[in-house]
Parts: sequence; structure tokens; C-alpha cells
Amino acid sequence: MSNPSPYQVPDGLFYTKEHEWARVTGGTAKVGITDYAAKTLNDIVYLTLPSAGKEVKQLSSFGTVESIKAVSELYAPLSGTVTGTNQELTSHPELINQSPYEAGWIIELKPSMLEEERKTLLSPRQYEEFLKSLDAEHQN
Amino acid sequence: MATTKASNHTPLYEFHRTHGKIVDFAGYDMPIWYTSTMEEHMAVRNRAGIFDVSHMGRLDVTGPDAARFIESLFPTGIGKQPSGKSVYTLLLNENAGIVDDLIVLKVDEGKYLLVVNAASKEKDLRHMERVGAGLNFKIDDITDATTMIAVQGPSALEALQPLTPLPLADMKRFTHAFSTVKGIRAVITRTGYTGEDGFEIIVHDAASGAMAVWEALMKGATPCALGSRDSLRLEAGLPLYGSDMDETTNPLEADLGWVISKDKKSYVGWQRLASLMQQGPARIRRGIVMDERIPRRDFKVTDKAGEEIGVVTSGTFSPVLKRGIAMGYIKTPSPQLGETVEVVVRDAPSKGKIAKLPFYDDSLFGWKRKPHQQ
Repeated sequence: MSNPSPYQVPDGLFYTKEHEWARVTGGTAKVGITDYAAKTLNDIVYLTLPSAGKEVKQLSSFGTVESIKAVSELYAPLSGTVTGTNQELTSHPELINQSPYEAGWIIELKPSMLEEERKTLLSPRQYEEFLKSLDAEHQN
Repeated sequence: MATTKASNHTPLYEFHRTHGKIVDFAGYDMPIWYTSTMEEHMAVRNRAGIFDVSHMGRLDVTGPDAARFIESLFPTGIGKQPSGKSVYTLLLNENAGIVDDLIVLKVDEGKYLLVVNAASKEKDLRHMERVGAGLNFKIDDITDATTMIAVQGPSALEALQPLTPLPLADMKRFTHAFSTVKGIRAVITRTGYTGEDGFEIIVHDAASGAMAVWEALMKGATPCALGSRDSLRLEAGLPLYGSDMDETTNPLEADLGWVISKDKKSYVGWQRLASLMQQGPARIRRGIVMDERIPRRDFKVTDKAGEEIGVVTSGTFSPVLKRGIAMGYIKTPSPQLGETVEVVVRDAPSKGKIAKLPFYDDSLFGWKRKPHQQ
């Protein structure tokens, strides 16, 4: 029996090795960063996000998320068109730290290649294994 | 497989390890935050915070030629200062380049305590030994035998007073005194790196006594780590050696001309400095406050027309201003206070203005703040 992870990894989402998640409902996907990413950045203070209508490609950068000290790229888990961004984050970027999978969602997009691309994403269990491997690397 | 040198630990490492997120800093395992940089930063601005700064080098300089030696090292007139002063100054090389910035505690004419940057200590010692060749003095590195804690914020005095018989309210800024903290022999200096009122204490204990002092201070102050130390000093407009100045920077362009004594000659670098003062600096350190976006080190600065005029050397998000702020070097003649400049953030120019330092309103924040109306 493995040790419980210190990071939340909810079921029902797809994950990437760049620590983004995607929740697909019907024809849209909500996208954000994982609890691990949020805890690593800690105080999130600023985001630069695309406008609605922008085309994004899987694994390419669509914006940045910043803490006081650091800048992290945001990588699209799926290709598609941006249909919206979380307006709350402009005045409350800390929502990502408080609720990375719910209130802290970052963009919404209409996936263009869902069937092909979903196979390349990680399941919750696969992402948890990935986190454990990172943790093991840090121990050495 | 290469083996790396084991990291250094300060006497307070156990606290950092169990309460904070550890990173490497100048070869030491130090915390970057305990809870969050934002919380720790605002704790110092609103109340008081404590920082373990034991990693900084502490060097005792004594001997028959100590005064002469000290005077030859620094552009600041330390000889004419009274005993008990704590003097911010610069170590310069022959080219008037800054080797380090430091505080010199003038204990008396024959005894000085230097507090230097951790990463520069070895370099400073070599420089000092070279400059002092032939003089009769001794340098004792007391870093590992002592613990240094900064207590900073409008309530720093209230946090420290219960631990010491020294009447702290009588201490002027940039002075120091010898006393005890929790019964342990200590030097207390009314100095700091946050822009707030505060004290830095050097306790002659590198073991359980040090931890007892830290824990007692926690009753009135919040533990704060490296992340907030950097955001606080940058908000206060204080330069960081290694980021905002190095051996290729002279005091004039670093906007630290005030440390240069008008009547001293024959300290290291004075000739080059004299000719630089004739010419004026080719670039100058300035503050920039952004409309949007966060400026980061190495981002280019351009004027309104898009011409490159400088570079960012330190950038962060200011918790008080809730905007990006930066220090950087702008070529002279530089735009004036309030004038628009642009910082190139990821290939896109982003507007900002030349800002005064400190960045915050100093009637509301910092050691000059007006007392609350009750």
C-alpha cells in the first residue's frame, strides 16, 4: 500500500506532466494547474492569459502564472479554441492556491482534436505515479 | 558521479527544516518561505517579522592598526564616527568597482565588527588581507560561533524588548550596543534590510540558546524567510549585491554616492572614483513601477519610442503596491521621476514609470511612517 500523496489529484480529470489538468464536459474543457503546481509556486499573484478566440496547440504555452519570485508557463493540455478565461483571477489570483481544481480554473476551451489527444494525457493514477517519481528524484 | 559539498546549516536549521520550504542559498540550506512570501512580507509591514540571517559573514577586526586599516578599506569616513555607530559602506576595488556592501559596527577605535554578504565573505577576506598587507591587525571570523537574527517592522521593538535589559527606545538608527538577549551576550544594532524600523541581533551562541531566542521572539514576531526578505528590500529600494551591483558597478551608478566621504583620499579605489565623479555616471540605478505585468531580471528597458535605454537587475510583485516593481540601470541622462518607460516582458513592451525609492508611501510604511491616530 503506497503512502498517500500530499497533493490532491481528483478523479474525473486528465493531467499532463507540466502539471495542468483538464475537465471535459460535453464539448468543452476547463483547464487549470494542479495542486502540486500551485503549492510549488505558492503565492500566485499574476497571470497572463489569452483572449477568447485564440487557437491553442497541445503542449504549447498559452500564458503564464506568476508568484512573487517566479514565472511559470501554462501549457495547453489539448488543442482548441479558447472560449473563456476565469475573470475572478484578475483580482483574486490566489483562488488558484485556495481551489486549484474548482474556483481556480484558468481557461475554458473548445477542443479540436479531443479523441486523438485524450490518449496522450495522464489519468489521475498515472499523474500520481509521476508525482511520486519527481519526489523520489528530489530525495537523491 | 560528482559529489557536491554538504550544505551549511545555521544554528536555527531545525526550525527551518520542520517549518519551511528549504532551498540552497550561498551554500546554506535556508527557507524560502514558512507559510507564504505574501503573508510574511505583510507581517513585517504591519507588525513584526524575524529573519535568520546567521549565514551572513561576521568578522571582528582588531589590533594596533585596526583604525588605519578600516579607513583604508572604505570610501566612508569611519574614523570620524563616534564609537557605537553602525555604518553602511562599500568595499571597493582599485577600479572603484563594488566588491561587497556591508555594515561596519565601530565598537571603538581599535575594534570593528563587519557584517558582510554570505556569498562574498571569502572574497572580502582575501581583498582585505591584500589591502592590509604590512599593517598590524587581526581578522576573526565569528560567523560560526554566533547567530544573527533580524527583527523588523513597526512592532519590532515590542517584540525584542522583553528579551533584553537594553532600553531599545533610546537607540538611534544606525547605532549598536552591547547587552544580553535572553541572558546571552549579544550585540544589538538598529539596522535592517526591509525599510522598516528594526534591530539585528548577534547572539554569542550557536546552539540551543539561539533557538530559545528565536522561539521567544516568535511571541511578538512572525518567522519570515528569504522570499519575503527579497520582496521587502526591493520594495524599500535597497540594492542586493550580486543582483543590483557587482564588481563592474561603481558607487555613483549604483546611486550610492552618499557613502563616499568628501574629504577622504587614499582608500582603495579613490583615484578612479575621483575621475568618475568628474565625468558623472554613464548609467544610473532607478526604480520602475509597472502599470501591468511583472518585470524580471534581465528584461530590457526602453523609452517611449522603443529605444533600448537599460536593463532590469531586480524585479518582483510588490505586495503593498499590488503591482510589478523593478530596479535597473538606465543610461544617463535618464528619464525623470514619473516619466513613462517600457519594460520588454516576453517580447512585448509593457508600460511603467520611473518611480521614487522606496516604492511605498513612506508616511504609511517604513521607518518614517506616521504613528497611527488612535
